[in-house]
Amino acid sequence: MTIPVDLKYTKEHEWVRIGGDVATFGISDHAQEALGDIVFVELPEVGRTVDAGEACAVVESVKAVSDMYAPVAGKVIEVNGALETSPEQVNTDPYGTGWIAKVKMSGDTVELLSDDEYNTYLEE
Amino acid sequence: MTDVDANKLAKTPLHEEHIALGGKMVPFAGFDMPVQYSAGALKEYRIVRGDGAGLFDISHMGQVRISGVDSLKFLQYVTTNDVSKLVDGQVQYSGLLNTQGTFIDDITTYKISDNEYYLCINAANRHKDVAHLQKKAANFDVAVTDESDDTTLLALQGAKAQSMLQPLVDTDLESIGYYNFAQVHVNGKAAIISRTGYTGEDGFEVYIPNSIAVEVWRQLLAGGAAPIGLAARDMLRTEMGYALYGHEISASVTPVEAKLMWITRLEKGDFIGRDAVVARKSDGPRKRLIALKLTGRGIPREHYKVYVDGKESGEITSGMHSPMAGGVALAYVKPEHAESGELSVVIRNKQIPAERTTTPFVRSNVRR
Repeated sequence: MTIPVDLKYTKEHEWVRIGGDVATFGISDHAQEALGDIVFVELPEVGRTVDAGEACAVVESVKAVSDMYAPVAGKVIEVNGALETSPEQVNTDPYGTGWIAKVKMSGDTVELLSDDEYNTYLEE
Repeated sequence: MTDVDANKLAKTPLHEEHIALGGKMVPFAGFDMPVQYSAGALKEYRIVRGDGAGLFDISHMGQVRISGVDSLKFLQYVTTNDVSKLVDGQVQYSGLLNTQGTFIDDITTYKISDNEYYLCINAANRHKDVAHLQKKAANFDVAVTDESDDTTLLALQGAKAQSMLQPLVDTDLESIGYYNFAQVHVNGKAAIISRTGYTGEDGFEVYIPNSIAVEVWRQLLAGGAAPIGLAARDMLRTEMGYALYGHEISASVTPVEAKLMWITRLEKGDFIGRDAVVARKSDGPRKRLIALKLTGRGIPREHYKVYVDGKESGEITSGMHSPMAGGVALAYVKPEHAESGELSVVIRNKQIPAERTTTPFVRSNVRR
């Protein structure tokens, strides 16, 4: 299981990459492994305004349906449309081609953990 | 996390093997069973649908032997199908009903001889079934013996099932036709092998004594079979539209609703539940089972509501994302909606359009 050092994490097992005022996010390696084979992703609508911690996407594996919560508040500016036809990228490359959405940040975030903190959180 | 105490769950003789293979264990029908192995459910599914073969531990299922001179008379009375049609070595899909005509269980009946039959029953219903059968047996000259604890049941399913199983068996498997069985020896031990399954692929179900469970399991894996967990098993059976107890079949539906009149032979004479089924047939079903396919995006899942012409009509009993057929499901709807009206499935408060279809959802490769 990998936890890249350059990302932030949430207690809901999302990762966030912040560059300027744009946050890109997806689900962590731990999350994709726990869910198993992902067969469907429901993406947020581009242009939607989300609150930090608001359910904004759905990831479905063979057996489970899992809500994904926006780690930051803001406006959705881009979504990973490739996941509509190949949702398995969330399994194979959760931090890369498996990204879910990009949000132009308006300020609020949920509690964000460093890689070390997330690792500790997983061990608890 | 589950609040079921894993220590209280029953274990099959292959429990340690599942753990060693990376099996993700979950409670199922009172047993601690593998939902998937390290390869994952989709890979497991593809092996069975592809050109390999998958090995399933289904030892949680129950086995009951019926013996004695009244065996036929007894089974005609307690099961729905016409047992008199069976010849020695044949298997029949059937049901156990209560007097209300609803299902106690769905079963398979194996005819060994005129005075001996073998039933395979669902794990979750085992104790209920055995108690029911023993109670009803009081008026017949039969013995009802629960052999579940002594029996390991494996399923080997897929294109290579026969070639992988043959080396362990003293009988030519080619001689066993679909829904037939043979009493054979596996590694020198008495066993029953039927050409049956729950996947829509060619394959076998293999009843062996617990004493050889581990060695046979390992031999089949060494021969190239892949272990398959409950998740892939459910995908494979749902794609075939096969009913599952607790989903399409339950104590609240009769064979009229469940589209199982083909295993309910009213003309054979009296049997438990017959009067109620006759009455339900003439009154008409309370609801009807349909097969549907989403035309919009999403995965139809169990308990999701089905709407017809914008109004609630019923709900899904089994649903899935089929890698080959997309979002497919079995659902009960109001009888008047079985054949007409615009269908949709409510997914996260949105009505996603769907259309009626037929089962199997993907092509069956069983050997007819």
